[in-house]
Amino acid sequence: MSVGRIGLYIFLAGAALFFAIPLLIVVMTSLKPMDEIRAGSIFAWPMAPGFAAWVKAWSSACTGLACNGIQVGFWNSFQILIPSVVLSVSAGAINGYALAQWKPPGANMLLTALMLGAFIPYQVILYPMVKIMSNVGLYNSLPGIVAIHIIFGLPVMTLIFRNFYAGLPDELLKAARVDGAGFWRIFWEIMLPISVNILVVAVILQVTGIWNDYLLGLIFAGREYAPMTVQLNLIVNSQMGEQEHNVNMAATLLTALPPLLVYVASGRYFVRGITAGAVKG
Amino acid sequence: MSVNVQGLRKSYGALDVLKDINLDVREGEFTVLLGPSGCGKSTLLSAIAGLDPINAGRIDIAGIDVTDRDPAARGIAMVFQSYALYPTMTVRGNMTFGLRVKRLPKPEIEKRLTWAADMLQITDLLDRKPGQLSGGQRQRVAIGRALVQQARVFLFDEPLSNLDAKLRAEMRVEIKRLHRELAPTVVYVTHDQIEAMTLASRIAVMRGGRIEQYATPDELYERPATLFVAGFVGAPAMNFLPVILRGGVAELGALRIPLDAYRFTSPPADGTPAVLGVRPEHVTIGGPGVAVATETLFMEPMGADTLGWFQLGAQRLSARLAPQLARGIDGAQTVALDIANASIFDQATELRL
Repeated sequence: MSVGRIGLYIFLAGAALFFAIPLLIVVMTSLKPMDEIRAGSIFAWPMAPGFAAWVKAWSSACTGLACNGIQVGFWNSFQILIPSVVLSVSAGAINGYALAQWKPPGANMLLTALMLGAFIPYQVILYPMVKIMSNVGLYNSLPGIVAIHIIFGLPVMTLIFRNFYAGLPDELLKAARVDGAGFWRIFWEIMLPISVNILVVAVILQVTGIWNDYLLGLIFAGREYAPMTVQLNLIVNSQMGEQEHNVNMAATLLTALPPLLVYVASGRYFVRGITAGAVKG
Repeated sequence: MSVNVQGLRKSYGALDVLKDINLDVREGEFTVLLGPSGCGKSTLLSAIAGLDPINAGRIDIAGIDVTDRDPAARGIAMVFQSYALYPTMTVRGNMTFGLRVKRLPKPEIEKRLTWAADMLQITDLLDRKPGQLSGGQRQRVAIGRALVQQARVFLFDEPLSNLDAKLRAEMRVEIKRLHRELAPTVVYVTHDQIEAMTLASRIAVMRGGRIEQYATPDELYERPATLFVAGFVGAPAMNFLPVILRGGVAELGALRIPLDAYRFTSPPADGTPAVLGVRPEHVTIGGPGVAVATETLFMEPMGADTLGWFQLGAQRLSARLAPQLARGIDGAQTVALDIANASIFDQATELRL
């Protein structure tokens, strides 16, 4: 093994530790009782690891006035996540297919508009969005936050699918048209089955994006449907009493877990889909 | 079923791709659209299929105006250059997709599938996916997908251009056999003149969005209507000699070539600049025609023939010679130009005179 190789491995190990150590501290702290945290260093191994803090974080930590734990936020996030992901990915796939394959008049202009939409920081349009949602009576409601996620997700979803479908040979659509299939039939039976990898990528992007969202949830979901991230913030930043570091850490881990699981479950497709997109689109 | 195209125009923005196309394909005829890339042949085929909207004109199939009909309602089947098989479906799924869309009864679908698979000898491939097939097999499946439609008009868009030479020759014979057995009307696009000559009952040679000549392969080869057709069809290419026509004689520099044997379609005015076209097989040693003195340049043996090159004044002439004859040739050589089988084109209009 050459010196350069050894140096490379040292660098990689260092980089891995840089990301792993904070995670390790969070995990260790969440497993310690408060006494131990107060007494010892944050680098110390837990002497009697236990899940008491996790249980408290899940079911009885105080988020403001209510003390039902972060589980309320979990279910809120779940209710927001499912329709938002399903609808934004479906709409993106259909839009992308229509734009790339059927090339309606003005498709390129629409695409440029979408690019703009995808790159405008959404803080810029938050206030008008609040006014609009409030005027149509969707402000502070579950359908409201779902609609917001769909709207904000649509440009990127459409672009991803458009690029994928633009990479397919034109003749595929022509052959299907000669065979007599229409817009929807071609989409369901020919295009969608080809798109499994890119669908997985889109779902992962949306699941992580929507689950980790804080700002939109804080503004549009209202108190009743506040997502997990907002509840986590309420727990961590509560000003009353002593800071329970172990509960905070456990709540953080609980919040981060779902996207992590999605990555682990579909990593293989994710890499495949990213490369498929890169080569073809 | 006949295919009739009248006054067809198609443009993309300012670019006119098809300019006033008229084409009449008779029932059971095998028409090849031949031309270099960008000549509009594939666009014309797309227009006949109804895949691209047209700007003006009318398309009749079997005597019915189909100009505004969807591709599926025109009674056509089509085979594409990239095969365009549905990647996630099996061969069976690919071939029956169109029939399922049309909601044909299951036994009928099965019957047609068996028949077409049998015809193309792909029965044992039916449960495979396109990704597991070779290029030739994919092309067979693509043809099968068209066959099961039992359409009377088949459109082929450069179907063999993605195959290697050997497979291409094999599939050419296959397509010829299918045409003989089923006698459908075929419109077939290619840029390969061998494919065109061997398959077609008539060839439409296209250039720049126009049909230059629409004739049988023999007519096209022997009496090309324009300079472009003469140059495009035939390999090795026709010899072109720039001449001035004067009093039944072609003047090539100081050389006088009498044209008594040539049958003019329209007698030219004296002093007309023209192009005298002679195919390599009509440049002979000791054969019929006008004898001219040349200098031997070199010989290119091609197996069955040898292509001999001769210097005639400032021009080069190629001659298709028998290999035994070609071996002894060198130095000054008298060759004969068979004027009876030559073609003469007006330099300005490029039309046959």
